[in-house]
Amino acid sequence: MQTFTTGQKTQLSTLTPQTNLTLTVQVTGPASEYDLILFGLDAAGQLSDDRYMIFFNQPRSPEGAVEMKSGARNEKVFTVDLSRLPASVRRLSLASTVDSGAFNAIDHAEVTLSSSGTPLMNYRVTGRDFQQQKAVMLLDLYFKDVWRVGAVGQGFNGGLDALVRHFGGTVADTPAARPPSPPPPTPTPAAPRPAPTPAAISTPPAPTINLGKITLDKQGQSAKISLRKDGQKDPISVNLNWDKGGGFLRASADLDLGCMFVMQDGQKGVIQALGNSFGSDRFEPFILLDKDDRSGASSDGENLVISRPDLIHTVVIFAFIYQGTSDFTKVNARLTMKDPRGNEITVQLSNPDMRRTFCAIASIENVGGEVKITKEERYFKDHQEADQHFGFSFRWSAGSK
Amino acid sequence: MAVSLKKGGNVSLSKEAPGLSAITIGLGWDPRATDGKEFDLDASAFTLKADGKVRADGDFIFYNNKVSSDGSVVHNGDNRTGEGAGDDETLDIDLSKVPAEVDKVAIAVTIDEADARGQSFGQVGGAFIRVMNKDGGAEIARYDLSEDYSTETAVIFGEIYRNGADWKFRAVGQGFAGGLAPLARNFGVNV
Repeated sequence: MQTFTTGQKTQLSTLTPQTNLTLTVQVTGPASEYDLILFGLDAAGQLSDDRYMIFFNQPRSPEGAVEMKSGARNEKVFTVDLSRLPASVRRLSLASTVDSGAFNAIDHAEVTLSSSGTPLMNYRVTGRDFQQQKAVMLLDLYFKDVWRVGAVGQGFNGGLDALVRHFGGTVADTPAARPPSPPPPTPTPAAPRPAPTPAAISTPPAPTINLGKITLDKQGQSAKISLRKDGQKDPISVNLNWDKGGGFLRASADLDLGCMFVMQDGQKGVIQALGNSFGSDRFEPFILLDKDDRSGASSDGENLVISRPDLIHTVVIFAFIYQGTSDFTKVNARLTMKDPRGNEITVQLSNPDMRRTFCAIASIENVGGEVKITKEERYFKDHQEADQHFGFSFRWSAGSK
Repeated sequence: MAVSLKKGGNVSLSKEAPGLSAITIGLGWDPRATDGKEFDLDASAFTLKADGKVRADGDFIFYNNKVSSDGSVVHNGDNRTGEGAGDDETLDIDLSKVPAEVDKVAIAVTIDEADARGQSFGQVGGAFIRVMNKDGGAEIARYDLSEDYSTETAVIFGEIYRNGADWKFRAVGQGFAGGLAPLARNFGVNV
C-alpha cells in the first residue's frame, strides 16, 4: 500500500485496474462530529448537480454509483463505482467539515482507498497540517484522460459554506425547496435553425444547497418542511444517539427510539423495538426502525425513517430508557431529525427526573402539504401516560425484551 | 497569432517574429484558492552552455540576483501571491546580448519554503509560460502546463535555445523534487 503526501497524485491504474473502489475515512479530534461529504463535480470542478453531494442527508447518488455508509470505529465508508458514474461527473472530492473548532485541533484524518478489500493507498494528515480551516478537502478521484487519485489536504476557514461556494454551489440561509431540474432539451427542429443570439443563452440556475441546521430549543417551537409536489419520496430520518455509559458493575444504558403514529387513512400503531414492531419501508405506515441498539455502542444509534411523510397524519417520536441509566442527561441522549434537503432539527434530552423515563420528543404533523415538526420534550412515566396526553388511545400492556 | 505548445513542443521564435531581438518571458499561476499560507512561486533563469551547465554562479538569475553577469537576462521582480490576472513574474532576455557560448536559457519556477509549508506543484493550478516580443509585447508562443504535477517543488517551464542563427522556444514542463537549491546544483551553480 502506498502512503501519499499532500499534493501527491497518480494514475489510478498504477494502483488498481478496478473501478469498484472504497474510501474509508476517519477523522478524530475534540469536536463531537466531523461531517464527511463526497462531492461529485463536473469536468470544470463545479457541483452542477446537487444530487451528487453525498453526505448524511443524501447518502446515495441517483444511480447508486456513489454511496455512503457507516463503518466500524466511527469510520465512514464511501463506495464508488466509477464505471457507473454519469459522464457529467468527472471528479469526486472527499471533504470533511466541522462546526466547532478548526482542523488544527484534529488528532488525525485518514483516508484509505481500497478495492475488493485490498488497501491501495492511504493519506493521513494531522492538526499540524492545518490552521483555522473548518472544511478540508482530503482526497480527489478525478478523470483527466484517465482516472487519477490525488491527496489534497487543503481547505477553507469559512467551513462548509466556503467549500460549497468553491465548487460553484450556493448556500441558502433559509430552508428552500430543491431548485427545479433544468428543462429537458427541446428537440432539434428539422427546419433551418435560427442563429443563436448570445443574449438568448440562459445558464441553468446555480444549485441551491440548503445546509440549515435548526435547533428547536423551546417546547412548542416548530419548523415546517414543504412536501414535494412531484410525488417523490422525501423521507424524514430520525436518529437517537446516546453515550454508552455502563462499566464494570453497571449494565450499559439501553435507550429505545420509537413512535406512535396515525395515518391519513386512520390506521394507527406504535413502532418500537419492544415487541419487535420495527415497521416497514415498503408497506403502510412506511416507517421503519433500523435496529435495537442495546448499549449505545453502535456509532449511529437507533434510526427511524419516515418514508412517506405525505401519508401521515400525526407521528409522535419518543425515546424511553429501557435499562441501564436513571435519566436521559446522564447518557447525553440527543435526537436529530433530518430531511434530504439538509434541514436538521436537534433536540437534546435534558430532563434529570429519574421517575420519568419516557420522553415524547417531537411531533410530526402533516398540515396542508407541509410537514410541521414541533418540539415536545415532554417527560412521562410510561407509554400510557404519554398516550393519554396525545390522545392516541392505544391499549397498553407491560412488555420486555 | 501566438503558437500554443504542448509539453515537449517547440517553435522558432525567429521565424514567428522576424527581426526579433529581445523577448519578455511571462509566467503565471493561479493564486491559492483555499485558505492557508500563500503559494509563493519564484521564477528563475539559468544561462547554460552546450553541456547544460552555467559558466559561473552569476548565470543563475533569481530574486536575489536579478541581472545576469553579462546583462542579457533581467528578472523583473518577485510576486508573492500569484494575485492578479496575467503574468505573475516576468523576465526580459535581450537575445542580441546573449554571449555566443550560451546555448540556452532555462526558465524554472520553484515554490518558496515548499517543504516547511507542505506545498508542491500538485496543489498549483493554471500555470503557464509565454514568450512575448519585448518590442510591442505581442505574444509569440505560449505553453499551458496542464500536466498533473504531484510532489514536485520545482518545474522547468520552458527553455529558449539556439538553433543555428535562430532562437527557438521549447515547452519543457519537467518537474523536480527538492526545490530551488537542487535545481540550481543540477545546472552547476554552487549553492
